[in-house]
Amino acid sequence: MNAIPAELLRILIGLVAVAASVGLIGLVMVWVERKVAGHIQRRPGPFEVGPSGVLQPLCDALKLVGKQLFMPSGADPILFWLAPVLAFLPVLLLFLPLPVGDGLQALNINLGLLLILAFSGLAVLSVLLGGWASNNKYGLLGAARAVAQSVAYEIPLLLSVLAVAFVAGSLDLAEVVKGQGTWPWNWNVMTQPLAFLIYFVSALGETNRAPFDLPEAESELTAGFHTEYSGMGFGLFFLAEYANMVVVCSVATALFLGGWHGPVLPGPVWFVLKVSALMLLMVFARWTYPRVRFDQLLVINWKWLLPLAVANLLLTAFFVKLAQFA
Amino acid sequence: MEALFTGLGALYLAKCDAAKTGQAFQAFLPAGFLVRAAERLLQADYHLEDICAVDCAEGYVVVYHFDHFETPGRLTLRVLAPHAAPTVPSIAQLFQGAEWHERETRDFHGVLFEGNPNFIPLLIDPDMADCFPLRKEEKARARAKDMLEAGEVVFCHPAFTLMTPDAPVEGNESGGAKPATA
Amino acid sequence: MTRYQNMEQLTGDFYTQNFAKTAREGSLILNLGPQHPSTHGVLRVIVELDGEYVMRAEPILGYLHRMHEKMAEVKTAAQFIPNMGRVDYGHAMGWNWAFVGAAEKAGGIEVPERAEYVRVITCELNRIASHLLWWGAYLLDLGAFTPIMYAFDDREKILDILQIPTGSRLTYSYFRIGGVAQDLDADCIRRIREFIPWFRSRLPMYKDLVSDNIILRKRIEEIGVIEQDVCRRYGATGPVARGSGINYDVRRAAPYSVYPKLDFEIPTSDLKCARGRYDVRMAEMEQCLRIVEQCLDMMPEGEVLVKGAPKPSWKVPKGEAYFAVEGARGKIGAYVVSDGGKNIYRTKLRAPGFCNLSLFAEVSRGTILADAVAILGSLDLIIPEIDR
Repeated sequence: MNAIPAELLRILIGLVAVAASVGLIGLVMVWVERKVAGHIQRRPGPFEVGPSGVLQPLCDALKLVGKQLFMPSGADPILFWLAPVLAFLPVLLLFLPLPVGDGLQALNINLGLLLILAFSGLAVLSVLLGGWASNNKYGLLGAARAVAQSVAYEIPLLLSVLAVAFVAGSLDLAEVVKGQGTWPWNWNVMTQPLAFLIYFVSALGETNRAPFDLPEAESELTAGFHTEYSGMGFGLFFLAEYANMVVVCSVATALFLGGWHGPVLPGPVWFVLKVSALMLLMVFARWTYPRVRFDQLLVINWKWLLPLAVANLLLTAFFVKLAQFA
Repeated sequence: MEALFTGLGALYLAKCDAAKTGQAFQAFLPAGFLVRAAERLLQADYHLEDICAVDCAEGYVVVYHFDHFETPGRLTLRVLAPHAAPTVPSIAQLFQGAEWHERETRDFHGVLFEGNPNFIPLLIDPDMADCFPLRKEEKARARAKDMLEAGEVVFCHPAFTLMTPDAPVEGNESGGAKPATA
Repeated sequence: MTRYQNMEQLTGDFYTQNFAKTAREGSLILNLGPQHPSTHGVLRVIVELDGEYVMRAEPILGYLHRMHEKMAEVKTAAQFIPNMGRVDYGHAMGWNWAFVGAAEKAGGIEVPERAEYVRVITCELNRIASHLLWWGAYLLDLGAFTPIMYAFDDREKILDILQIPTGSRLTYSYFRIGGVAQDLDADCIRRIREFIPWFRSRLPMYKDLVSDNIILRKRIEEIGVIEQDVCRRYGATGPVARGSGINYDVRRAAPYSVYPKLDFEIPTSDLKCARGRYDVRMAEMEQCLRIVEQCLDMMPEGEVLVKGAPKPSWKVPKGEAYFAVEGARGKIGAYVVSDGGKNIYRTKLRAPGFCNLSLFAEVSRGTILADAVAILGSLDLIIPEIDR
C-alpha cells in the first residue's frame, strides 16, 4: 500500500520538474539562440531588457501570451487547436526517462529509449494536423513536407540508436550510460562514430532545424505549417521545437557521449554541459548554412543516411555476436 | 540594315545619328507588316528593348526599340495606330517579352495589340484599367514630325508624310490631325 | 480542404480567376505574394502547383505602380530627376544617369570631364551596394540568414560615402542635367580609397564562406537555365544575360561617359543557371572596385556642373533621344520625346527588371517550388523599378 503513492509522488514531482524545466529551457534557448545568432551576424543580439538582454525572452513570452488567438475562417476548430497542444504535450513525456545523473531520472523504466522514440513520432502528427486544419495552402504544403521529412528521417535515426542499443544490450538509457566510462575514449561515440553522425544529422531533420527546416521554409512557404497560428498557438509549436531539441541532444548525450560521466565535476553538470554543446552546434548550423531543397533532403536520407545506417547496424550486430562467441 | 526591310512595304527608312538620338536606324512600317519585320529581326538575333507609344496628333505612334547583343546599334520600328481605332498586331508570339510591353502600352494609351496571348491589364488595377493615363487632350497633341527625329532619309514612300519635315500641314492618315499650337 | 463558408473565398480576384481558367484539374493554385518573404516587396506570382512542381507561373505586377511616366508629363526635366531615385532604390544612380543622359542628349549638353568621373565613381559604388543588397537578400531566400548582415555591413560603408556628396542614402537625386550636384570632397575621396582595399579583403571571405558552400552550390547550380535565345526573345540584359554567356554590357557595347578610357572586364559565365548569374554579380563587384580605383587616379580637377547649366525651368528642345546605361540589373533606358514645351512630351523608362522578370514564367515551368524561388531571386528584382 505504501509503495504506490511513493511512486506516484515521484512521477508527479518529476512531471512538475519537467514542465518547469521545459519552460525554462525554452526561455534560455531563445536567449541563447538570439544571442549566438547576433554574434554570428556581427551584432549584439538582444541587450535592452535585463543584463545582456536575458529577460528579453520573458517579454517575448508575455507578448505571445497576450496576443489574440486567431483562427482563419474555414479552418477546423478542433483539429486546429488540438495541433499545438499535441505538439507540446508529448514533449513532457519525453523528458521523463532522460538520465540526467546517476539515479537522477524522473521515470526509470527499462524501455526508456523506446518510449522516447515512440512519442517523438507524435510530433509529426501535430504538424500534419496544424497544417491541414489551418485551411491554408502554405500550411498544407508545409505539413506535406513535414510528414515526408519526418517519416524519412525517423528510420536512420532509429537504426543508429539501435546500433548503440545492440552494443549496450539494453534499451534503458541509464543502463547505456552506465556502460560507458569517464573519459571520452570510453564513450560510445568512439565505437560508433558513424552512428553518432547519422543520429545527429537525422536529429536535425527530425526536429526541423536548419538546414533541414523545410516545413517552415520562410522564403518559400512563409511559415509553413504554423503560418496561421498566432499567440500561444505559435508559442507552443515554438516551445515544442526547443524541447525536442533538448530531447534529441540529451538522448545523443546519453547514448554516445557518456551521459553524466566526466572527470572532476558532478554528473548532472557534465550532462547539462554536453547537451548544451550539442545544442550550440545546432544553433551554429542554423545561422551558418543555407537551406537544402526538398528533394535533396530526401536524397540525403534515402541514398546516404539510410544505407549507411543499415550497414552500420549489420556490422555492429556482427561484432556483437563475435564478441559473444569470443 | 536596309536589307532587313526589303519587301516589307516600309513607309520610311532613315539612318539616325546615334550620338544625338541614341538610335542607329529607324523604320516606319504599315501595321500589317509589323509581324513580318519582327520575324526578320528575330532571325537576325535582335532583342526587344521596349515598346512604347507616343500620343501624336496623327495617332499613336507605337515605337519598338530593338538592339543587338553582338553588333550594338539601336533599331527603332514605328507603327501608327490611329486614334479612332488604335489596333496594332502583337509580336508577342515572336518576342515573348513583348507581351508585357504591349499590355503596359494598352494600360497607358489604350492601344490594342491583336494576338497578344494574355491581354489583361498589367500595371493598372483591372477595376480602373480604362483610364489610359498617357492619352493626351486633343489640343495638347503635337505632330509627330515636330518631335520625332527625321534622320538621314534612306527611303520614303511617296504617300508618306508623317515624318517628312517639308510635308503639307495636314497629315493624311488620321482623323484628328491639327496643327500643333499648344 | 475543409469547409468553405462562402464560395467567394475560392474564386479569388481578377488575376487569380483569369489564371485559374486554364488550370488543370486537381492542381493547386497558390498566390505567392504580394506579401511574401521571398518576393522582395510587393511582387505577386500566381503559381499552379502539382505537388511541389510548378506547372505554370504568372507574375502579377502593379502593386507598386506609381506612374512615373505620367509624372514626367507634368514636371520639367529638372524637376523629374528626384523621381529617378525612386524608380529603383537599389541602383538609383543608374536611373539618375539614364534620364539625365537622355535629357543631355536631347539638349546637346556637354558634361565637364570631372563630372563624368564623379558620375562613374558614384554609379559604380552604387552598383556594389546594389549587388550586396541582392546577395544578402538572395541568400536569405535560400535560407541562409547570416550573409545579409555582412552584406549590409559593407553596404553601410558605401551609403556613408555616398551620403557625403549626395545628402541621401537610398533615393539619390544627385545628377543634374549638365553634371552633378556637388563635387566629391577630400573626406569623401579618402573614404572611398579606404573602402576599396577593405572591400577587396572581404570578397575572398564571401567566396570561401558562402559561394563555395556545398549546400548553396547544390541549390543554385543547374537551376533556372536561361538560354541565350530566351534572353533575346525577352530582352533580358545585365547579369541575367551575362550569366548566360552573352557578352553584352552597355558600358562596352554603346560606350558612354569615360568608360572607354577605363580598363575593366565584363564578367560572363557560360553556366546559364542561377549559379552563372551569381558568379557574374560577384565578379562584377570586383570590377567595380577596379573602375572606381582608376577613376580616382585619373580624375582631373575642374567643375562638376557645366557653366550655364540648365535651370529648373529649362525646356528640352524638340526631338527625341534614347539613352541607355548599364544598371546593376541590366540596361536602363530612358527615351525622351520632346515637343519643345515646358514639360517633356513623352518619357519612356525602360526597366531592366521588367524584361528580366518577364522570362520567369517560361524558365520556372516544371521546376520545384523551392527552385522557382531560387530563380526569382537570381533575377535580382527590385519591384519599384519593374512597376515604375
